[in-house]
Amino acid sequence: MIEEGKPLFVQIAEQVGDSIVDGSIAEEAQAPSTNELAAFYRINPATAAKGVNMLVDKGVLYKRRGIGMFVAAGARDLLLRERRNDFALRYVQPLLAEARRIGLEPDDVVSLIRAGAEPATP
Amino acid sequence: MDSVIEVRNLTKRYKDVLALDDVGFDIRKDTIYGFLGRNGAGKTTAMSILTAQNLPSSGQVRVFGEDPYENARVLSRMCFVRESQKYPDDATSRHALASARLFFPRWDQELADDLVEEFQLPLKRTIKKLSRGQLSAVGVIIGLASRAEITFFDEPYLGLDAVARQIFYDRLLTDYAEHPRTVVLSSHLIDEVSNLIERVLVIDGGRIIMDESTEDARALATNVVGDAATVERALHGREVIHRESLGRVASVTFLGRLDAAERDALASAGIDLAPVSLQQLIVRLTQQRTPGRDAFAAAAQEGSLR
Amino acid sequence: MTTLESGSATRPAVLRNRTRNVVRLQFVNTQTFLWVPALVLGGAWVLTMLIYWILQNAGVTGVKTGGGSQAPLWYFLVVGIQAMTMTFPFSQAMSLTRREFYVGSLAAAAVSGLGMSLVFVLLGLVERATEGYGMNGYFAYLDWLWEGGPLAAGLTYFVLTMLFFIVGFWSATIYKRYGTAVLTTVLIGIGLALVGVVALVTWQQAWPAVGQWVLDTGSLGLTLWAIAVCVLLAAGSYLTLRRMPA
Repeated sequence: MIEEGKPLFVQIAEQVGDSIVDGSIAEEAQAPSTNELAAFYRINPATAAKGVNMLVDKGVLYKRRGIGMFVAAGARDLLLRERRNDFALRYVQPLLAEARRIGLEPDDVVSLIRAGAEPATP
Repeated sequence: MDSVIEVRNLTKRYKDVLALDDVGFDIRKDTIYGFLGRNGAGKTTAMSILTAQNLPSSGQVRVFGEDPYENARVLSRMCFVRESQKYPDDATSRHALASARLFFPRWDQELADDLVEEFQLPLKRTIKKLSRGQLSAVGVIIGLASRAEITFFDEPYLGLDAVARQIFYDRLLTDYAEHPRTVVLSSHLIDEVSNLIERVLVIDGGRIIMDESTEDARALATNVVGDAATVERALHGREVIHRESLGRVASVTFLGRLDAAERDALASAGIDLAPVSLQQLIVRLTQQRTPGRDAFAAAAQEGSLR
Repeated sequence: MTTLESGSATRPAVLRNRTRNVVRLQFVNTQTFLWVPALVLGGAWVLTMLIYWILQNAGVTGVKTGGGSQAPLWYFLVVGIQAMTMTFPFSQAMSLTRREFYVGSLAAAAVSGLGMSLVFVLLGLVERATEGYGMNGYFAYLDWLWEGGPLAAGLTYFVLTMLFFIVGFWSATIYKRYGTAVLTTVLIGIGLALVGVVALVTWQQAWPAVGQWVLDTGSLGLTLWAIAVCVLLAAGSYLTLRRMPA
């Protein structure tokens, strides 16, 4: 679940973001607390807090005093927009780099994607 | 930042060994530290002096702003769990825990009872007859349940299996979350503890060679793998801390990061970038020892080869 | 800061009790402090009684005394050694100061020594009342010891247990801190010093004077001297422990 290379708190923010994007934590619902995250991912609570704060700064989470962290209204759209923006950089660029290395043209890649997206024929 | 421990110019000399060489560092309040280094690097000596179980040759140690030596006010707020702790001959685990309850003002009996159950520690057996793992469990339980404001764990896991170690890590984290305190954890299992610790203190040959947040430490070094000539050209002028090669492929670890342009350039040259784990980084850093210090080990090795 | 508040509220009491709790820590070793001394005392008593009984049956009707009651005293050397070697490292793990450990250990020895002295006095009283268990045999009731009464006899016995304890404790501290060579050197040094005193007294032909002084001082007077020696040794022992690494 946790990988080297990317700062741990960023990964925590992404994990929480995943849950919001796939709807398992609804908007205006309570988000997992820092301590819950720390215990679940077995990481230092300060690191978990940093991940949570990152989401607060982005406007994805907000704090209700004395109760905890909640998912902001519009958080899902915000995350979707951000991830769609990042999509090219995070997935398409590495894909094209590997394609170049093994001698595939962008058109070949496109047809491969098309083929991959079609439902498997029995 | 609030410091609970301040160490300045600390030197400890045993007859012919310099265990600590003019060491200085601070320990922040309510932070979990990884105190890492090779055997004989000076970890136990440093922790012994901080808890006034040993005395410095020179230099100053301040704990909660005071000298800890013979200072009950300070000592009662600390707990030092040693790897090779000795217990009274007739003592059972129950005696050891009952004693700890007497001396640690923030002792939590409920937590201790829970841990005894989780570690399946036989309470009525004398400590002499415990297995190595059970012996470690006694120390771990005392360290956690004492809830001392500063707790030192010196290789607390000897003989504990993976399950028991996980119990220790989990309990440490959850209890720390509820009762924040300063924990200094010395360990060789760096991969296992790297996510638990907020700061890293690395000691090597009696000197502190790293005092960083774990996150910054993780970003200190980068590893690149690819065609040897290309790699060498790309890393010209960088501080390389490790180099190995397989045929024409070289894997080189260097201190520092690459900016986006450099990354792209390397990627298009067919060179792979890999992160360096905390364990790898510390192994690399502490394996570069001064020749003088290693002369003995080298001589011993030569002896065994002949 | 709730932690600070609760800390400062409990701390003084906690600190006050620490030395007293060292006594409890030492008594974890019930073997050392209770059962073995009791066994040594009981064993010495039984053996002495058997010998007296054999002598009595063999027709020896005179006053019989023996050195059996010394055995528990000697055992306090062992108690001193074990109190140091077994419990000091653990006391450090319990975040105790060396001073707390030392004072608490002395207190533990005192509890054990007092119990021993009490048994000794009770035995002596029984012996006095029954004229040596009806066989004129004495274990605890020794004339020269009891000339100041049961309390004085008890005090002498108690001071001797403490003396032996402190010597054992100090020896163990020297051994642990400096090793066998230094301990042996110290013991040889003490031996030489004693031989020197004997030689000096002999050359000065002062033995009669020394004998007279011992008689004049009496067992109670000697006990007071022993207390002075105890205090000196205890101070020396503490100074050795004070900078002892765990």
